[in-house]
Amino acid sequence: MAYTLRGRLESRLAVVLAPLLAACVVTLALKAWWPVELAGLMLALGVALDLMLYHRLLPYQPGWAALPLGLLELAAVMGLGRVLHIGAPLAAALAFYAGAWLLAQVLGHAVFPVVRLSYGEDGGELGRVGAGAAAAAVVVLAAAAGVAWETQPPVVRLAAGVHQGPLVLDRSQRLVGEPGAIVRGGIVVTADDVTVQDVTVLGGENGIEVEHAERVLLERVHVVDAVLDGINVRRSQVTIRDCSVTSLESEYGQGIDISFSADLAPSVVEGCLLTGGQEGIFADSVHAMLKENRVRDTTLRGITVTEMAMAGVKDNDVQDVLGIGIYCGDYSMCDVHDNTITGVRSDPESSDSMRQGYAIVSHYWAHVDAEGNDIAGSPRTLGVFADARATSE
Amino acid sequence: MSRACAIVGGGLAGFVAYATLRRGGLEPTEICVFGTNPDPAAAWRVRAAAIRQRRMRSESDGHCAPASFPGLAVRAALRRRSVVPLVESACDRFHPTVEEFLEHVEELRAKTSWDESFHRSRILRVRAAADGFELDDHGLFPHVLVAPGHPGLAFPEELAGDPRVVHAYEPHEYAGQVEVVGAGMAAATEWLNALAVGASVVSVRRREPERRALNLPRELFTRRGLAAYHETSPEERAGFLRRYSAPSYPPGRRWDEPLERARREGRFQVAPAVDGARQIICATGFKRGYRNDALLRCLVDEHQLETVDDWIVLTPDSTVPGLTDAERTLALAGAPAQWSYPAADTLMGAKYAARRFLRKVQAWPTR
Repeated sequence: MAYTLRGRLESRLAVVLAPLLAACVVTLALKAWWPVELAGLMLALGVALDLMLYHRLLPYQPGWAALPLGLLELAAVMGLGRVLHIGAPLAAALAFYAGAWLLAQVLGHAVFPVVRLSYGEDGGELGRVGAGAAAAAVVVLAAAAGVAWETQPPVVRLAAGVHQGPLVLDRSQRLVGEPGAIVRGGIVVTADDVTVQDVTVLGGENGIEVEHAERVLLERVHVVDAVLDGINVRRSQVTIRDCSVTSLESEYGQGIDISFSADLAPSVVEGCLLTGGQEGIFADSVHAMLKENRVRDTTLRGITVTEMAMAGVKDNDVQDVLGIGIYCGDYSMCDVHDNTITGVRSDPESSDSMRQGYAIVSHYWAHVDAEGNDIAGSPRTLGVFADARATSE
Repeated sequence: MSRACAIVGGGLAGFVAYATLRRGGLEPTEICVFGTNPDPAAAWRVRAAAIRQRRMRSESDGHCAPASFPGLAVRAALRRRSVVPLVESACDRFHPTVEEFLEHVEELRAKTSWDESFHRSRILRVRAAADGFELDDHGLFPHVLVAPGHPGLAFPEELAGDPRVVHAYEPHEYAGQVEVVGAGMAAATEWLNALAVGASVVSVRRREPERRALNLPRELFTRRGLAAYHETSPEERAGFLRRYSAPSYPPGRRWDEPLERARREGRFQVAPAVDGARQIICATGFKRGYRNDALLRCLVDEHQLETVDDWIVLTPDSTVPGLTDAERTLALAGAPAQWSYPAADTLMGAKYAARRFLRKVQAWPTR
C-alpha cells in the first residue's frame, strides 16, 4: 500500500479504536490505569512515527513490512513504558500489543477494503468513516484522561521538618515530602491507591506499615531506627522503589517484610538498601519481584522467600550476611538470577547444617532455578535440603 | 429500454464496472451492458493464449471483484490449503496463474448475473441529451460508462504488408529464427517462448526496457502518487503518459537466467532493426489514442470534447467534463481513461473508474 499521510493517520486511529475501548473496559475491571496508558502510548508513538518517519521513508509499504515495523513499535512501546513507569505486567502488555497488532492487520487487509472499496487506491484514507473513527479515538482518550485527572488521589505535601506520627493514611492519596520532611513515629497505610514519596521515617514500631491495601507505592522512603521492621506489609500489594532501611532497634527486626498476599497481584521491591536486622527482605506467601536491592549485615539470612511464595530474585547484591545469602523454602518457587553474593559467613552458634555459609539455599520442597549468580567469599555456594530441588546452569 | 446505467464495452473493464455496480446495490435489470461477446474475458483470453502467458503480471488484487479482499492470493491459499500464496502476496511475489484468473472471471460472471444484463450489440454512437445519453437506438441512459477496449493491434509502419509479420497477440507458432520487435512484457514473454522451443531470437528494440514489477511505479496506483499527477498541467501530463508508455517488464531470475543462457549459446541477441529472419513477431502492443477508436472519435467530434494529443481530457474521477453533472454521468474506463488514472488499462485502473462511476450513480437523486 502506498499510504497518503492522511491515510496512515486515519487507518492508525481507526484500528486503535477497538483496543482503546477494550483498554477502558480492562481499566474499569482491574481498577488500574495501565491498559489505557499503554493504549494511549501505542497510539501516540504510532502517530509520531507516521508523521516523522514512515510517511517520508516509505512511499510504498509492502505487506511484509508490517512485521518489522510492528516489532520496532513494540520495542519502542516497551522501552517508553518502562521510562514512563507504566505499570503494565509484561505478559499482559505483550498480549495486548499482539492482539492490537493482529486486529490492525485484519482490519487493514480484510475489513477496510470491503467496507470502503477504494481504500487501497485512496492510500488508506477512510473518508467520513476515517474522520469519525479518528474523532472517536480522540474522544475516548480525552474522556479517559479526564476521568484519570478527576479521580487522581489528592496530593498532600509534607513540608520540611519533623512531623509527629504515626500518620495514618486511610484514604487514597499521594503523600509527597519536601526535601527534609521527616515523620517521627511511623506511617500506617490502610487504603488502596496510596503513594508515599520522598519521606524519611524515624522510629515507630514498624517504620511503615501497609495493611489490606492495594496499588500502594512507596518511593524514595527512608526508614531509620524502627523498633521492629523497616517496612511491614500484610495482605497487601505494594511497589517499593529506591528505599532504605537502617538502624533497626530490635535484633529480630527485618528490613522489609511482605506476607500473606499470594492471592493478590505481585509486589515489587526494587533498588532498596537494607542494612542490619535478621533479614533484609522477607517474602512470605506472596508473589513478588525482588530486584536490584542491596542487603548488608543481616544476622539470619540476606533474602528469604518462603511458604509457597513465588518470586524472582534478580540482580541483587547481598554482602556480609550470617548463615545464608538467599533462602527459598517451604514449597516456594524462586528464580534466583544474576545476583552478587559475597561474604556469607558460617554461623558458629548454630547446629543447623543450612547455616554453614551457603550463598543460596533451597529447602523443604522448594525449587530454586539459579542462573548467572556471582558468588565469592562464601564457604558454600548452593545447598539443597529436605526434599527441595535446585537447577542451575 | 429504460435503465439507470449503461456500460458500453463487454470486456474486462466493463465487467469490473458491472460487478462494482452490482456490489453497490444495482439489480441486473437496472444495468445494460453492450458488447460483442458475452464472455468478458474473450479478447483477453485470446491474447494471453497467443503469447503463452501462464502467470499474470498483476498481483493478488489483480482481479475483477469490486472489493480487493479477498484477493486471488487468499483464494489460492484456500484452494491449495497452503499459506504460501499469502506469504508471497505479503512480499509482492504472488502472481496468479492465468487459469486462476479466468476461473475467477467465470465465477464472478455467474455470481453477478452478468448475462442477464448483457446485450450483444456494438454501440457506434453516444449522443448527449438533456438528462442522459442516447446509445444508437437503444434509448436514453442517465449514466454511461464507456469501456471500448484497445482500438486494435499496433504494427510498425515499416513492416506493413510484410508476409513474415505476425503480432504477438495473434495465434502463432515459432520459426527456427525469430525476430521480436518490442521490449515490453509481451516481448519478454515471446523471447522466452521462442527460446523454449529451440529457436534463435533477435530482440529488435530502439531503447532498453525498464525493469518494473508492475507497469507503473506502485505509488501511481494510489492517491499518494495520483495527487501530484492530477496537479500537472496538460502538457506535463501528456509528457508523463508518453514517458511511462515506454516498454517494461519485471525484474527477476525467471526472466534473466534463460536469456543469459541463450546469449551464451549464441541464441539470443539484440539488434536495432529487423533483418532477414523468417518470422517477425511484433510485440508492439496496441494502437494508441482516441482517434483510432470510431466511437470515441465520434464522441469527441460531435461534442467538441477537450483533448490533448492522444488523450481525451477527463476529470480525476474518470468522467467527461461538460457531459457530467448531477443528472447524468459519462465516464471512460480502460485505456482511454489514462488522463485520470495513468494505469487505466490495468484491472486496478478499471476498478478506479468503476468505483467513481458507482459513487456518481449512488448520488443520483432519482434513484
